[in-house]
Amino acid sequence: MGTAALTQRNPYLERPPSSSLADVVDLILDKGLVIDAYVRVSLLGIELLTIDARIVIASVDTYLRFAEAVGRLSLDQERSQPRTLPDLMEDMKPPGKTARKALHAGKEAVEKVEEGAHKVEQRVRGGGGNGGENGKAEDS
Amino acid sequence: MIPGTAATLTGATYVYGVVPARTVLPADASGVGEPGADLGLVRHGPVAAVVSAVSADGALGSRRDLLRHSRLLDAIARTTAVLPLRFGAVLADRRAVVDELLAPRQARFAAALAALEGRAQFTVKARYVEETVLREVVEQEPLIAELRERLRGRPAEATWYERIQLGELVAGALARRREADSAALVGELGRWASSVTWRPAATEDGVVDAALLVERAAWPGLEHGVESIAARQARRMRLRLLGPLAPYDFSNELMEEN
Repeated sequence: MGTAALTQRNPYLERPPSSSLADVVDLILDKGLVIDAYVRVSLLGIELLTIDARIVIASVDTYLRFAEAVGRLSLDQERSQPRTLPDLMEDMKPPGKTARKALHAGKEAVEKVEEGAHKVEQRVRGGGGNGGENGKAEDS
Repeated sequence: MIPGTAATLTGATYVYGVVPARTVLPADASGVGEPGADLGLVRHGPVAAVVSAVSADGALGSRRDLLRHSRLLDAIARTTAVLPLRFGAVLADRRAVVDELLAPRQARFAAALAALEGRAQFTVKARYVEETVLREVVEQEPLIAELRERLRGRPAEATWYERIQLGELVAGALARRREADSAALVGELGRWASSVTWRPAATEDGVVDAALLVERAAWPGLEHGVESIAARQARRMRLRLLGPLAPYDFSNELMEEN
């Protein structure tokens, strides 16, 4: 269908070919016609899901998280203070002792990452075969 | 449809939605329960219920059940008017589907389906790019900027209450933006819809969840429109477009009107 062909055409718009479980929970547990003549069958965890989907929490935790998030921002005026000549001179100096130390530490970190990647690769080749489980998450 | 009489005696009937009697069900769809039951129509005059057999003592509600319910109805909605029932509608048997569901509401179902003809629901979910809006908030609200500045570099234990106060101010500022942004977005989306309903998104970063009832001829226009809004807003918001869907957000309203 025309709709499916549009999937992924625009990098700014999420256009999934079908609804995810979260989308579905939002729609079919909360909306749609309710008829008063239902027979009761047992519904697995549905009440719980519906309640969860409706809760919007404005808690102390939320506030603390917001406070931390705005604290972390580096703002334009802080970043782009007009730079003075001494600042610029500082930049042009050859790397000092601390800078050299930082470079060295950086290099070590890269080596460690590479080492780790190598180990992972070895483990994969060793044939665990446990990967790929997550891809089967949705019934289609 | 329902295999054997034994199943009808011990089983119950799960109902997905109500459609015009002439509807042809998608061939590849399967019903809820284990194993996915065959789907069928229970017709009554001009309307029909989409049903499958379900064991009365079984439990429903696995992720597979939820997805099957919604994908079947959405598949139908691509071509046919459908009134989706909320998940979990089960009647005693097929006779009860006629006697208790279809017959008492036949005229209203028929009128609602006629009103829906050629339309389906699209849902647009908008979420903030948190860093961008938080930056906006700090840059535009002097009180927040000041408090933030005062807290910089001070230890967390010593500033507990001030940080809660800062967070509360930020939450308030976000709520005001959410209200303004929702109204603007919903107003813009309304151009393509014959009906719009929305509610504030239920997450911290949410802007709005809007449901639109859209005529088939307007589907391509809506898609292009939402794409261009998404591109224009990309710095501040992420948009998600779902549809065509069964009109979950409009069924009750349509039934009340008819």
